[in-house]
Amino acid sequence: MIPLYGFLEGDTIGLLVLAEADDSIAEVARKLQAAARLRAAIDGPITVLYEGKPVDPQSTVADAGLQPLARFDVRRGPAA
Amino acid sequence: MLGRGTGVLKRDDWLDLARKLDWDLSYVSEKDAFPEVQSGRPWLPHAEWAAWDEPFRTSYPEYVAGQHAKEASVAAVREAVGRVEDYQRLPQGWLEGLKLHAATLPLAEFAAVVGNLRAARFGRDSAWRSAALLGALDEMRHAQIPLLLMHDLVRWDPQFDWTHKLFHTNNWVAIAARHLSDELLLASDAIEFAIATNFVFETGFTNVQFVGLSALAHGVGDKMFEKMVGSIQSDEARHSQIGAPVLATVVKHDRRYAQYLLDKWFWRSWLLFAVVTGFSMDYLTPLEHRTSSFKEFMHEWVLDQFLRSLDEFGLKRPWYWDTFLEGLDNYHHMVYASAYSYRASVWFNFVVPGPRERAWLREKYPASWPDFDPIWQRISDRWRESDPGNDFAVHGTAIVSFCDLCQLVLSNGTPRANAANVLDHGGRRYVFCSAPCRWIFEQEPERYAGHKGIVKRVLAGDAPANLIALVQRYFGLDYDTWGKDAFGGDYPWLARPAKSAKSEGRQA
Repeated sequence: MIPLYGFLEGDTIGLLVLAEADDSIAEVARKLQAAARLRAAIDGPITVLYEGKPVDPQSTVADAGLQPLARFDVRRGPAA
Repeated sequence: MLGRGTGVLKRDDWLDLARKLDWDLSYVSEKDAFPEVQSGRPWLPHAEWAAWDEPFRTSYPEYVAGQHAKEASVAAVREAVGRVEDYQRLPQGWLEGLKLHAATLPLAEFAAVVGNLRAARFGRDSAWRSAALLGALDEMRHAQIPLLLMHDLVRWDPQFDWTHKLFHTNNWVAIAARHLSDELLLASDAIEFAIATNFVFETGFTNVQFVGLSALAHGVGDKMFEKMVGSIQSDEARHSQIGAPVLATVVKHDRRYAQYLLDKWFWRSWLLFAVVTGFSMDYLTPLEHRTSSFKEFMHEWVLDQFLRSLDEFGLKRPWYWDTFLEGLDNYHHMVYASAYSYRASVWFNFVVPGPRERAWLREKYPASWPDFDPIWQRISDRWRESDPGNDFAVHGTAIVSFCDLCQLVLSNGTPRANAANVLDHGGRRYVFCSAPCRWIFEQEPERYAGHKGIVKRVLAGDAPANLIALVQRYFGLDYDTWGKDAFGGDYPWLARPAKSAKSEGRQA
């Protein structure tokens, strides 16, 4: 299990997201969106950022290099 | 003392005989009697402090007479309007702000007794030590008065029991409050205490609490709260004056350190007041009783005076000033919305801002409110779909994250761009809610690095990961005391769709 700090654009707080190393980035983003949906939601395409750079949603947490307690962001819109 | 043929000496002719009591030490060195670890830095010979003075110059008989009159006045108001029935007439939202304020105040004031007593022993001039001794006595009554007043209410509402209980729990607010109080009040040396507590916290910030919030108490008819904070403020106004002459000497000898202490403690104080006072002023006080927004109160009672003080001492605005100004528009809104959605984790109830409140907030916060309004629309919509009183249908379930410096939730920045950032230090990873919190950590990492916040306690297995278990087994709450929506989500403005007979039948 890899604990991560997730931040959804439009939300007011960072949430702890528990991921597995073989979870896809898209799955991790989905977990964050589900946890934040009382306060915020993004309709339409999203981009996941790690260290300020877009991450391939099909890659895994391990492949993307997310270490325990890393910050990732889910933002509105497709990757530029 | 009598002068021959002239009667009683004038006060100013004898006062210093009772408060300027320093003498040349012969059996110990000055450095042994006033070690830097307790007295603070820069360490200077007493000659540099000998001119220390403050404007009140209170003698002990004057202090006793004045405090006696204040106690009698508080007791008279308590006798008149301090019964449970008097509180039951107050607006519900205001009572929730009272629970928040009452729990965070008294045991922090008790810790301030210790800070003042350290200054009463290790302050570098006897007049400073005399003033700090009276400050310690002040703080004792600031602890005892709210404990006494709120204790009467426990039989009516057990959430008021948290006035005494909060600091003895592992509730996340208690962890944040202790982290601040331990450093600010219990562990600070005399110089840091004077600058951090007397100058920044008491001179800079308590006016927004004791003057601004007191004015709102007058508006809602809470005469007891108004009297209590007015009485406390009259003490604060006196002992806060210890700070300026200490700061003046530190500026003269080590301007950089003085600037560091100001920058550090202004930020830490701001975060606390934004939560304790910001919630009450912009959300929990009923709209018809609000006179100014929290931001307006801050400008009137904190910023103008603080900036004037910086000019007087030739100091600069804190380096993060633009971040702070952005926070005035955002921070307490970020935390309130977050805390509302995790209200079972605290000991007081919350109010959803309705259409009229949201219009007021839009007017007061035109730059930031458009980012918060959709959040309250979603929360309102969720209540509309849920039955009144079903709090957990409108509640978060994930574990939230906390700053490794201030221990508050990661809610700095804006909804568009949360300001949290991660730092690797000494083989451990830390997360901070803001650049100033990270900066404070980096200045003295050995002071903070060992502390374990909630997330690290959960990951280490010291605290449960399940939210309900965390609330009950670790935060010390149960159904009777955990925070709920103050109206059970049953607001006059929240029209629920009528349920069809078919769906009613299914439910039955």
